[in-house]
Order: sequence, then structure tokens, then C-alpha cells
Amino acid sequence: MKHLRTTALCGAVLLGLAGTASAEGHFEGVELKMLAIGDTSVTRLAPIVSEFEELTGASVQIDMFPYPGLIDKIVIEASSDSPSYQLMWVDSPWVGVLGESGALLDLTELVQRDAEEIHLDDIVPIQLQENTWQGRLLAFPASGMIWHQNYRKDLYENAEESAAFEAEYGYPLAPAQTWDQYIDIAQFFTRSAGETLAGEVLEQDFYGNAQAYSRVAGAITHDFFPIMRSYGGQYWDAETGLCAMDGPEAVAAAEVMKALIPSNPPDYLGLMWDIRTGYMERGETAQSSYWSVRTVRLTNPEEAVLPTIGEAGYAQSPTGDGNPQPTMTGALSFAINSKASDVEQQAAWEFIKWGTSRDMMRRFAEEGSGVSQFHMSILSDPELQARYPYYQVLLDAQENAQRRIFHPFYADVEEVFGVELNKYMAGETDSAQDALTNACTKIDTRLRVFPEELRLRWINDEPAAIFQ
Amino acid sequence: MAYIRKRNKRIFLIFLLPAMLVLFLTTIYPMLYAGYLSFRSYDLAKLFVPRVFVGWSNYGEILGSSEFLHALVTTFKLMAMTLSVQLVLGVGIALIVTQKLPGMPLARTLLMIPMMISPVIVGLVWLFLYFPELGYLNYFLSFLGFDSIPWITSTDWALWAIAIADIWQWTPFVMMGTAAALQSLSPEPYEAAMIDGNSRWDVFTRVTLPQLKPVLVSLMFLRAIDAFKIYDIIFVLTKGGPGDSTEVLSMFIYRQSFTFWRMGVGAAASFVSLVIIVVLITLFFKSLNRDQVS
Amino acid sequence: MSAITLKNVIKKYGAVQVVHGVDLDIDEGEFVVLLGPSGCGKTTTLRMVAGLEDVSGGELSIGGQVVNNVAPKDRGVAMVFQNYALYPHMTVKKNMEFALRPLKLDKAEVDKRINDTAAILGLGELLERRPVQLSGGQRQRVAMGRAMVRTPDVFLFDEPLSNLDAKLRTQVRWEIGKLHQRLGTTVLYVTHDQVEAMTLADKVVIMRDGYVEQVGTPEEVYTAPQSTFVATFIGSPSMNMIEAKVVAERLEANGFSMPLPDRFQGKVTEGQAVTIGVRPIEIKRVAASSTGAMQANVEVTEYLGNEALLDLRVGPHELVAEVPADQRVEPGKVIHIALNEGAIHLFDTVSGRTLSE
Repeated sequence: MKHLRTTALCGAVLLGLAGTASAEGHFEGVELKMLAIGDTSVTRLAPIVSEFEELTGASVQIDMFPYPGLIDKIVIEASSDSPSYQLMWVDSPWVGVLGESGALLDLTELVQRDAEEIHLDDIVPIQLQENTWQGRLLAFPASGMIWHQNYRKDLYENAEESAAFEAEYGYPLAPAQTWDQYIDIAQFFTRSAGETLAGEVLEQDFYGNAQAYSRVAGAITHDFFPIMRSYGGQYWDAETGLCAMDGPEAVAAAEVMKALIPSNPPDYLGLMWDIRTGYMERGETAQSSYWSVRTVRLTNPEEAVLPTIGEAGYAQSPTGDGNPQPTMTGALSFAINSKASDVEQQAAWEFIKWGTSRDMMRRFAEEGSGVSQFHMSILSDPELQARYPYYQVLLDAQENAQRRIFHPFYADVEEVFGVELNKYMAGETDSAQDALTNACTKIDTRLRVFPEELRLRWINDEPAAIFQ
Repeated sequence: MAYIRKRNKRIFLIFLLPAMLVLFLTTIYPMLYAGYLSFRSYDLAKLFVPRVFVGWSNYGEILGSSEFLHALVTTFKLMAMTLSVQLVLGVGIALIVTQKLPGMPLARTLLMIPMMISPVIVGLVWLFLYFPELGYLNYFLSFLGFDSIPWITSTDWALWAIAIADIWQWTPFVMMGTAAALQSLSPEPYEAAMIDGNSRWDVFTRVTLPQLKPVLVSLMFLRAIDAFKIYDIIFVLTKGGPGDSTEVLSMFIYRQSFTFWRMGVGAAASFVSLVIIVVLITLFFKSLNRDQVS
Repeated sequence: MSAITLKNVIKKYGAVQVVHGVDLDIDEGEFVVLLGPSGCGKTTTLRMVAGLEDVSGGELSIGGQVVNNVAPKDRGVAMVFQNYALYPHMTVKKNMEFALRPLKLDKAEVDKRINDTAAILGLGELLERRPVQLSGGQRQRVAMGRAMVRTPDVFLFDEPLSNLDAKLRTQVRWEIGKLHQRLGTTVLYVTHDQVEAMTLADKVVIMRDGYVEQVGTPEEVYTAPQSTFVATFIGSPSMNMIEAKVVAERLEANGFSMPLPDRFQGKVTEGQAVTIGVRPIEIKRVAASSTGAMQANVEVTEYLGNEALLDLRVGPHELVAEVPADQRVEPGKVIHIALNEGAIHLFDTVSGRTLSE
């Protein structure tokens, strides 16, 4: 082992002299700490960081926290002059606040330098665009995210059920293309214990749908915005840079969620992301739309009940009118603290390249768990597609995708809309319009103190410089 | 005395210094700094937001905000719910455990355990009990043939769920204080009442309760201050939701300061609530004292 | 009016017996004092009568009715406690009203009773005060008033004067006596103070270690104590006790001897160990030459005004003599004394019982 390391070190020095980007053994003694989430984009990687340590000599410590509250820690870390974390896990909507504050290292040049090594051309472009601020790439995708619907394929294909559905609604049962269909299907499959489902008497209640309605960490906004976007709704007014999330598309989206309540579990107001996916994974709901990061679990009998009692189907998200609308994407990414030292930043970039490499992603795919893929070659691989039928859905969905909200005031939006929408769903606010207008008013109050020019810059999605 | 004080003034100061220092660093300085912050626009996260003096506008925003008013009302609602139940239960349990019956000293000790647990842990324990679908409470309810209750996921129940957890934790405090007071009451008036034939209810309402009143008032005073500050249990169980049904003042301040990072507004809200609590509690206890004198 | 009867009444706490078969008859209107040192069972006996303690054995009846299992409130008794047991948060008037509540009287009757009682006890001015604003004597009067308003058949007093200072004690004692004369209610009164017992009682019950030593009028227990315990307990200063032996019709003590008084003839046997009891006032100074004169060293002289107490040493015996003040002598002197033969008591040393009967 020692011998191997020495050899590697010599090799690295030579390579370094030759001016290549390889970093083997360069970083003996460098200590990297990563502030991260305790979710698959990190948990798959954490147990094998010793491989990176052997390769580079740097040591890596990953501290994992739950999603709610993680942004708080990252923000405090970013505002500190002497940071203790060089690496940070970033959800793509956070690039606005972190970018405007100058907290993250601009990766544009590094990505361009190492374009071949990282197979830049093979990465779904929107996943990279997700991580840009004012055209500069501030984070690198470690897991892709596509919003899509999951459904009980076995139930949809059940002859008895599909006949009954068609008799009742006048059109064939198939994955919903519009939200009206989605609501119909949800209503149709909502059954109480004792009723029959696909010929079997239910021992417990079965739900037509499960979505996140909780206000905690703004969870409800994560299910609301994709619906709003699928109606063609915009976050911001292109003229003023102020809140536009109270327009008719937003109201329609809120009404969709309201209409789905009777088909959701009775404690819908407390449904967080993981609780909502849990219903799908246990096969207790007919359909549930969510981010693709957890979709892989539906294929794995060790992580979900559904594969053992039925079969999951996958489709693109419904839209307002059934015509294609921009699908929501997101990205869970790794970023480098701009205040870290040069050598730490170099080591951190090596870590990101190692942890997000196509080889690593393929390895995760073959191991059968983990991240949502973002390399086109992996998503289109026929062998993997056979194993993960949803890969094609992800690939298709990203053809016509638009990035998620990335405004510096995203945290405010998430929290304010989370509370207002949750109040509307709980029946505390009279109308969806009231709830959304309340939320927009609060956001606008905070935005109006800034000049319009600045507000317009904040909503401008400059194409990533790496593509030029 | 004066002589001693004069002679040892320097030594006196040396002994006082560490305590003064700690007090200054942990209480006085942060408070002054919060006062300073409350007149500024200060966003901890958005470094591009100018940090400038804004006069009274933070205070103006809070006092004109329906959210702040709602949080204030919710705080007092929760206070009324927890304090009234804690008073009745605490006194009731104290009456039982001060009986000379076998096992009562043990029961007294066991009943004090909730008080010694950190509120965060209490929150987590109750989270398991309340958990939607899978919670133990609903399991037992269904076992007994009742419908399950959406404890922390319904705007009708959530405040009660918080109250129940708080009641569970702090009833022992009232119980302990009351039991101590009960045990210090002279037994002879009770024997006199027994011989005179006064009913138990008369004895309780006209002999025991009036004698406990000063202690109960103090206990309620302490509980009221705690109830005003309640945070941990709510943070763990509902984070202010669903809707804004459990949004108390501390959650409002927390969200302003650490979700929106508007430290100035958070500081101003802290000061406003400090003034409110001081005024209301003073008025409340003044009126109580007046009752007692008359 | 009621009478109280105790038949072989026993009190046990677990295995420990503290009252051993007390027999007692209390007539209607009688003032009976239970007297004894602390721990003698007198208070326990009183509390059994009140119903505050269960009766472990025997039979307790009040007014001819067995009350072993009758609740305190149904026994027709009222009690005055050592610590007054007033309700500290109530005014004097409220205290009395509260005692009357169970009787469900109408308001006028309540006021009448309270005012009558207040008039008797001189509480009129104090009715609106709370106990903390009263002196000890006033509190004791309130406690009595609270017992009186209920017009009980029996008053029970548990050491009511022990928390008062000496002067007040005399006054309140006098008031209690007057009250009893006026009301004529049966009273059972517990005290460890023989003066209270002697001054108040129609009948004194002297208890020791859970047993009744003697029951009798104050005069009887003073003049005819049935045991050495009663003899020494009653009377102040205590009766002198001298160990002696009956030898040839004489009482031979270590250091002196005297002829056996005629009234004991036939009640003692030759060689019997006896205890001679003689009250200090029955020891007289005599001339050295007179018959039966004993030489005594004066060790301490206590001047009491009218009389003086002389602590004397006669051989191995220590005696106290009470003499007119003008006959007192300085300590260290030697005097001669004689016992008043007609007034000596004789007890069997082994049993401690009297030989006078």
C-alpha cells in the first residue's frame, strides 16, 4: 500500500510538471470538510471517501444534516470569514443567495479546463444551467432532479378497474396528462378499508394521491411550484422583477392541490417530502408526483414495499391543458467555499470531479440505489433502462425543461408561500387568490427596497458561460 | 457594616468581577446589541442587503403586522390552556400523592421525571406519540375503537397537541410545589374540621385552597413566564404549523431571525414582546394581589 | 348532657401498644382531667374519644351509645387543640361560621350563636381579625369559642394552655373553669400540668405508660395517692420518698428509724421493703432533744417569700422540707427535723402500691 502510494505520488508530480489536470497524490495533508445533507446524493458517497483519500492524499470529512435547517447552516458558514467547511452541498435554488453573496467559488474555468475528464457533453445541459448564477457555474450536479409522476401501473392495467374508471369518467384510465385527469384518478382510487381494490378487500384505507402539504421547511411549495409551472405560471414579473406567483396559473395550481385533499391521507397537512413518498413506496396510494431523487427506491424491494405487491409506473408530470409545458428540474450539487485556501479549493474540485464522475454514477446505478442520474449516456443505456424504466421519462422530460426558482430571496419565498398555502389548504384563508396575494405582498415588501435594475438582474437566467 | 464595606471595597469588587463579567457578556451586551440591531436593517444571509440604520421602521412593521398579533394571541391562548390544566391537575395529583398511602413517595419521585427531561427530548417523545398514521396514540385510539386524531397535522388539534406535551412536562412542577405547600400546612385545622363535620369539599375549597393560594400564584407566575417563552416543543412538533395554528411569539421571532435572516426585525420583535410580557404580567399579578388584600 | 364510658379501651400502632385497657366513667357535666407526663397515652385516649384515632380494642361509648365506629362529626363532641387549630386565613367570625356550616343553620341563628359566644368569651372586638393578629390567649379563646358555638355535648381539650406564658395560663385556666361552671357541659381535658388538673378537675385521671394509675378527686389523689408514681407526680415540691424496711414494728431506713404508725399495723409484714412518703410540708424543725429528732445538713435554701424550701441531707437520704420563711437557715448549717408521723404514706417498694388501705 505504502509502495503504491509513493508510486502514485511520483507519478502525480511528473504529471503535474507535465501540466495535466490529474491530481493524484497532490494533496497529502489537505483536510477537507463538507457540510452536506443526509440524503442519497451524499450517503452513497460518504462510505467510500477513503478511495478518494487514497487517490489524492487529502482527507475528507462529511458532516450530514437533514434538509430542513441545512440552508441555515450553510448561510452562516458562507457569511463567516474563517470557514470550517470547504465543500458545501447545495440545492440548486440556493445558488441565488449564495452567488449574490459571493460565497461560492466560480467553477466555470475549472469545468472548461476539465471538460473532457468530466464528460461535460454527456451531462444533461439543464442540470448544469440549474447551478448557474448570472451565467457562472457555482456548483456541480451530484444528483439530477426531474419532477414527474409515479403511479400504480398494476392497478391502472387492472381490467376491472380500468373498465370501471372509463364507465365513470368517460375516458380510458391512463397516466394523467392534465391535472383534471389527475384529480379524477385520485378520486377514483380513493377507497376506505373494507372496499374492494382490484378485486381484493382492503384492510386499510387506500389513497388516490399523496402530495406534500406541510409548511415545514416550505415543503408544500415544492409540490406547488411544479404544478404552477406546468400551467405556464412564472415566478417573477419580467417587467418589474416583483412576485408573479399570484397569477391565474398559480391560483389554478393551488386549486389543484385543494381538490386533491380528499384523496390524500387525513394528516395531509403534515405530509413532508419523505412521508409523501413513503405512501407511494408502501403502495398505499394510486399516484404521487415528486422529484426523481427517490424514484429509484420504487424499483428496489429492499427500499420499498411496492415492488413486492405491485408495480410502479412513471410518466411526465401532467400539465394544465395537456399540452407540453416546461417541466421542473432541479439539481442537488456540490460547491466550493470561496473563502477556502487555494490548495483546499483545488482539492475540493478534485473531490467533486471524483464524486460526480460518470464512472461513479454508473457504479451507483449498477448497485441499484442512490442518486437520480444526469448523464445522458446512462439514462439512455438500454440495459439500465430495462432495470429502471423511469430513465426514459427523465430523459424525455428534460427536452423541454426550465430551471427551478433561483432568486436570492428563495428562502423567503419558500417559507412565506409554505405558510400561506398551508393555511389555505387548512381552510384558514378564504381563497387561493387571497393566500397567494398575501404571500406575494410579503415578498414584494422585501424586494421593493432594491432598485428595479437589480431586481431584474436577479431574475435573469443568463445562459451558462461553460457552453460558450 | 459601612466600615467593613469601605475597608474591603477593593476585595469586594474583585469577588464581584467574574459574575459581572459573565452577566455583561451573556446578558447585558447581547441585550444592548439586540437593541442596536432592532434599529437596523441587518440580513445575516444576504450579504448584499445594505446594513443601515432604519429608525423605528422595524418596530413599525411588527406593530402593524397581523402575523405578530396572531402570534401574540396564540401565545396567550396556549398559556391559558396549559396553565389552567396544569393548575387543576397539579393540585389534584399533589392532593393524591401527599396522602399517607403506600407507594406515594415513590409516585412523587416518578412523577417528577418529565420535568427533568430536556424540552427537545419531550418534543421528540411526543412526536413519536403523535406521529401521523404510525403514532402510538392513534394506535391506542384505534385499539379502543376510536377514530385516529390528526394531532399535529390539523389546525384544530395542533395547539392542543403542543399544550398536552407541555402539560405532561410541567404539571409535575405545579404538583411538586403544591405538594410541598400541602405538607407544610398544619394538620390540626383539618382535625378540627373533621370533628366539626365539615365536608371534604368545604374543607378543600375553604381551608386548603385559600392557604395554598400564595404558592399557587407563584407557581403560575413562573409557568406563565415559561409559557411565554415556549419554543423547543413547538419547534420539534409543528414548527408553527399547520397553517399558523401554533405560531407563537418565539416562533415568529425565530422565523424572522433565522429563516428570513432579518435580524433587525427579529430583535425588534423580541423587544416588543419583552415589553408586552412585562406589562401584562405586572397587571395580572397586581390584580391578583388586590384580590388578596380585599 | 352526656356521659362518656371507656371499657378496657386499647390503642395499638402495629405491634406497639400505647394504651393498655383504660376503664373510665365520666358523669354528665363532669370536668375530667387526664393527667400524666408526656407519652403516657393521655392525648391518644382523648383523640380516641374525639374519633381522630381508631379504637384498637375495648368499648367507647358517649351518651350510652357505643361510638367505636362512629365518625367524629357524629359524636357530639367539640375539641380545642393545643395549637388552637384556627384557620389562619379566616377571620375569627369566619372561623366560627365554618364550624357551624355542617349544622346548616339559618343566618340569624349563626349570627346569634357567634355573638352570644363572643360576648361570653369577650371576643366581640376581635371578630373581624385574623388569627395572626391575635395574641396567644386571644387565639385560645377563639378556639374555645369555635368549639362552643356548636353547643356540643362534650368538650375535649388537648393541652389547651401549654403554648401560653405563665401569667396568661393562670388567667385562661380561670376562664375555662368559669366557663364550665356556666355551661355545665361534660369536659375531658388533657394536661401534663398538675396545677391545671387540681384546680379545674372534678375528677383527675392519672396515667402512666398507657395505664391508668389512679382516678379520683383532686383531694383524693393528693391526700391518698395509690402509688409512688401518683405520690411523686402530684404535689409541688414532690413528696420525699425514703426506702426503708419493717423491723420489729419500726421503719428502719439507712441512717434513721422511726416507729411504725399504728394505722399500718397489720398491713405490713416483718422485713417487708417499704417506701416512706412524706410531703415536704410534713417535715418539721424540732429541738435536738425531742423524740424522733434527726440530724440534717442544710445543703441548699430556696426562699419563696411566704415559705422556704430546705434541701436536706439525712445520712444517705436527700429530703426537701418546706418551712415558714422565718424558720429558714443558711446552707451548711446542721438542724434537727422530725417527720409528721400522722401524715406519712407507706408504699410497698416492690409493687409501688400504697399500704395505707
